[in-house]
Amino acid sequence: MDRKKISKADLGRWLDTIAGKYELIGPTEDEGIIQFGPVQSSAELTLEYANSLIPPKSLFFPPVESLFAFRKRGEEIQLEETKPLQQDRVIFGIRNCDVGSLSLLDRVFCDDLEDSYYRERRERTTLIALACPTPPRSSCFCTTFGIDPLSPAGSDILLTDVGDVYLVDAVTDKGEELVALGEGLFAPLTEGEEKELQPPPVDMPQLDVRELRERLEALWEDEYWEKLSLPCLGCGICTYVCPTCHCFDISDVGSTSDGVRYRCWDSCMYSDFALMVSGENPRPTKRERTRNRYFHKFSTFPSRYGTGYACVGCARCLVHCPGGVEITEVIKDISAKEGVSDR
Amino acid sequence: MEDKLQELVVELLGDGAMEYFIGYRQGFEPSHVVPCFVTDKSEADRLIWGPLCLQNLSKYVLQARDLDGKVGLLVKGCDARAIVELVKQHQIERDKIVVVGVPCEGQVDPRKMEQVLGVSMEQVTDVEDAGDEFLVKVGGEVSKLGKEQVLRDKCFYCKHPTSFDYDYTLGEVQPFTIDSESEEYDAVEKLEELPLEERRAYWLKQFERCIRCNACREVCYGCYCKECIFDRTDPRWLDRTPLPRENEIYHLIRAVHLAGRCIDCGECERVCPVNIPLGRLYKKLQKDIAELFDYEAGMEYDTVPPLVDFELDDQDPFL
Repeated sequence: MDRKKISKADLGRWLDTIAGKYELIGPTEDEGIIQFGPVQSSAELTLEYANSLIPPKSLFFPPVESLFAFRKRGEEIQLEETKPLQQDRVIFGIRNCDVGSLSLLDRVFCDDLEDSYYRERRERTTLIALACPTPPRSSCFCTTFGIDPLSPAGSDILLTDVGDVYLVDAVTDKGEELVALGEGLFAPLTEGEEKELQPPPVDMPQLDVRELRERLEALWEDEYWEKLSLPCLGCGICTYVCPTCHCFDISDVGSTSDGVRYRCWDSCMYSDFALMVSGENPRPTKRERTRNRYFHKFSTFPSRYGTGYACVGCARCLVHCPGGVEITEVIKDISAKEGVSDR
Repeated sequence: MEDKLQELVVELLGDGAMEYFIGYRQGFEPSHVVPCFVTDKSEADRLIWGPLCLQNLSKYVLQARDLDGKVGLLVKGCDARAIVELVKQHQIERDKIVVVGVPCEGQVDPRKMEQVLGVSMEQVTDVEDAGDEFLVKVGGEVSKLGKEQVLRDKCFYCKHPTSFDYDYTLGEVQPFTIDSESEEYDAVEKLEELPLEERRAYWLKQFERCIRCNACREVCYGCYCKECIFDRTDPRWLDRTPLPRENEIYHLIRAVHLAGRCIDCGECERVCPVNIPLGRLYKKLQKDIAELFDYEAGMEYDTVPPLVDFELDDQDPFL
């Protein structure tokens, strides 16, 4: 579809029309925290945000979800599956780093071992991405990982703020359906506007990650990990705010005769994450756990799924780590390490 | 003061008086200060000191327990209370720690500063202590903010701005005034006045946001159990799922376990990514402990936390 425009005043009208037909989810502010949540009307949304604290991966892979309920009566066991969604959804305002993370998570949850809960949420959701404000936050580094904050790649529609109007790029059938809902609110761009209405280019520091994986893999036994892990507190913030982390735990809550099987996020930074029933723990100290996190992002994930790095440069871990373990510094440190240490 | 600190650290590392030193350095942006572990003299020039050096570094001494030598630590007076308690609770021997006391004239609460300035901390390039106020630089412009506007809650009622127990000190606190009439337990008393159901509803709403990242536990000096009750799987006392009822129990168990040991360092509230006002919960504990047992944690070495102590004539009507 050709590029269109919508006035800022009409955006709310369009979203309200969408909310009449779909579950509308977008950025809201509560207690000083930006989060993606369901809204009844566009008036509940905020547009003054860089990004949400918890990434929108939580809308596809929730922090806690019921998988099914079970009942046992005598010898009879009844299972009741949980429906992941009641209604088709539209997510408004997702940023491109998080769009990029979904294509990585798709590999985990939709490749050969399909996760029906995740898949249903993905299929029944339309993404309206909102190009990032310029200048970006000083912490952002998505372009390092090949993400273009102004591209519609991966979403269904991209909106770009160019002053009085948003440019509208609907790039999938799902996206065009939503644009069709807003009849009369969208206008084509004149030839002059095609040239004039351009977002300012995004200027972001670029980290050198060309040989990151090879360099990292040569550092498995390096003393670097000991030092890096000293300030780590062993909490789970970095993994819970990470849009690509996807580890989970499963537990039955209730009694042996009546209960619910839940899945909830887990974190490889927890000391008991890799603990086995035997008492053996292959990652006994923070050194191994910290090393594992970076290996997973920059070596294990790419080698297992044949993708790029499993980091999208959203900088959430950088900003929120209470111990000040900074992923950008790790990348720089690894790139600066000379030679190969004793493997 | 930074020069003095850096020189001292270089000297202590050179003498072998400690294996490494823990202080502060600037993080990815000027207003973001993070812990700095100095293992080599050449890194001492990264150490900084100022009103954004928020973290209580005391928890880190526990991971240095097994070192052959000592660990050096920069402590504000408030953080030193954790050292006192760790020693009293037999978690580390005092002579394993080289305490470098720093005179603190108040720390900035970044969330308050963002509200007062109306800009994100990302825009703040410098914060300087100037007695009764802070000089704050945003985009090249310097503005003056009275300390009462942006200080961390705990700083209003600071009991000792410099540690009473130190091996080295970087100086004395210059007197300053805070233009405020609020009292230490104002926020707690306001909550206490609410009817029980409203008070419960208030806390349940706060705990609902909890994502159970455990940051409040991990940053707390007092959470040093080898196996935390929350991690036990047999029996499983508490489920890991961040459901409201589990979150409520999580926070109440943690609070009760810290009764009489909480030193009001405010770290739990500061690190909470979802802004749960844990400081108020723990302030309530301190108030109760002060009223019931006339005890304040971390203020001196020769008293015992009331809930780890007993006397033969203690009342025990519930037994």
